[in-house]
Amino acid sequence: MIEVTDLTKRYGNTLAVDALSFRVRPGSVTGFLGPNGAGKSTTIRMIVGLDAPTTGTATVGGRDYRTLPEPLRAVGTLLDAGAMHGGRRARDHLRWLAHSNGIPARRVGEVLDLTGLTAAAGRRAGEFSLGMRQRLGIAAALLGDPAVLILDEPVNGLDTEGIRWVRGLLRDLAAEGRTVFLSSHLMSEMEQTADRLIVIGRGRLLADTGMREFIERHSGERCRVRSPEQVRLGGLLAARGADVRPDTGGLRAGGLPAAEIGAIAAAHGIVLHELTPLLSSLEEVYTRMTETAVEYRGRAA
Amino acid sequence: MRKVLHAEWTKARTVRSTTLTPLVMALLTPALAVFVGLTGSLHPTDSVFAGSLTGSVPAQITAGIFGVLVVSGEYGTRMIDVTFAACPRRGRVLLAKALLAAAVTFVIGLASCAAAYGLGTLLLADRPQGEPMPALAGVALCFAAATLLGLALGALLRHSAGAITAVIGLMLVPSLFGPLFGDLQRWITGAAPPAPLQKLIGISDASAAATGSLGGWPSLALLLAYSLLALAAAVLVVRRRDA
Repeated sequence: MIEVTDLTKRYGNTLAVDALSFRVRPGSVTGFLGPNGAGKSTTIRMIVGLDAPTTGTATVGGRDYRTLPEPLRAVGTLLDAGAMHGGRRARDHLRWLAHSNGIPARRVGEVLDLTGLTAAAGRRAGEFSLGMRQRLGIAAALLGDPAVLILDEPVNGLDTEGIRWVRGLLRDLAAEGRTVFLSSHLMSEMEQTADRLIVIGRGRLLADTGMREFIERHSGERCRVRSPEQVRLGGLLAARGADVRPDTGGLRAGGLPAAEIGAIAAAHGIVLHELTPLLSSLEEVYTRMTETAVEYRGRAA
Repeated sequence: MRKVLHAEWTKARTVRSTTLTPLVMALLTPALAVFVGLTGSLHPTDSVFAGSLTGSVPAQITAGIFGVLVVSGEYGTRMIDVTFAACPRRGRVLLAKALLAAAVTFVIGLASCAAAYGLGTLLLADRPQGEPMPALAGVALCFAAATLLGLALGALLRHSAGAITAVIGLMLVPSLFGPLFGDLQRWITGAAPPAPLQKLIGISDASAAATGSLGGWPSLALLLAYSLLALAAAVLVVRRRDA
């Protein structure tokens, strides 16, 4: 369990994180979404005690991270895959980490196996591709067999096979009852991996819900309608304030719930062949939601 | 603390920058002893001991650079985040680094200066031997102090090139510009890290006019004192600052 309460971080006049409160529960994968500069990394750095909050608290398993005697056994963290010395061999990187928290040396071999790096263990991290460094960073996070995992952009630089592997791994870890918290800007990836979502923009909480509820709630009322009396139905729906557009083999009606569309059709004796509520993809919902919260919006050319 | 020491020792052993620097440091003094021995390029009044240890000042600078690299390399790669996430008690991390790095340069300094003196004894004849004991131990402590100073600067500045420049400056600038300050020279040059080293080996460069009348050992105590003070400042700053 990760608990963030009224967490605030101020740099001069800029509020990077603004009175943020949320909980990340065990047993599920929780996605942490937000545009660049929204404060995701700053929040994660405060949770693991690297940056000090201006006000507020962050705890892991009820404790301040900095008071954990052997933090790697409680919390595995992946911050930035580049954060290792390029001249050090992969196995040595894991070895010093194991030594620092009294983790038995056999775990080094185990996490190398788990991340598919055994054959590359004797190579220097500087020779690694970004994807391999991500795997090494994930191996380091798993070293202490922690109950809580915090991963900042773990699929960055991974190929399709690697992304599928991380997705499976995170789902398995959550199924074992661990707390899995990952940030990503790849929303399609998040949609397939996370059960819950925490969305922030400009350092503020925008949403903290289940993935499905999030998409349903923010999709708006949109239905695909097919009927042999399409033109007549379209006119009736438009008269009731719906935004009606032609769609492949039918109509797309926005602004009216499916039940009401069905009732209108029934009242006028119109046969329906299809009436399907449409859900937006996470990406669409997220884009709409964060539009107002984007700090660094690209200027249109 | 034992776990942090173990981790830091593994770290230092497994990267070239922190294994090669002590190696260079180990070779500098003996190599210069052979050069001085073969060419006889030393002051006529200098003893065998002083002549053999001509290379100890550049070696001391290398010891300072080693101290910088032990900590600044981690800031350069941001591995410091991984380190502080694994060991949130940052003061301990810095002290473990300091203890290990200072021990390394003390031991290597002692061994390489003893070796240099041995070589010098073989090559330099017809001059006073000098008094290597207990001065050699003091020389090795000068190396350890320079390492602590470098480590403190590396932690405070978080930047390898900047901190290395600062260490070299601290070592060399006082003796370069000291003469410009007239009577103040003995204070400026006398307080610089190489001063106790030069006084302990009794080299003629360390005249009272240039480096003051403070003896070798009190001068060493001064160097150790401000090196430890710098380390304490670094510990305070690193604990308070965002990583």
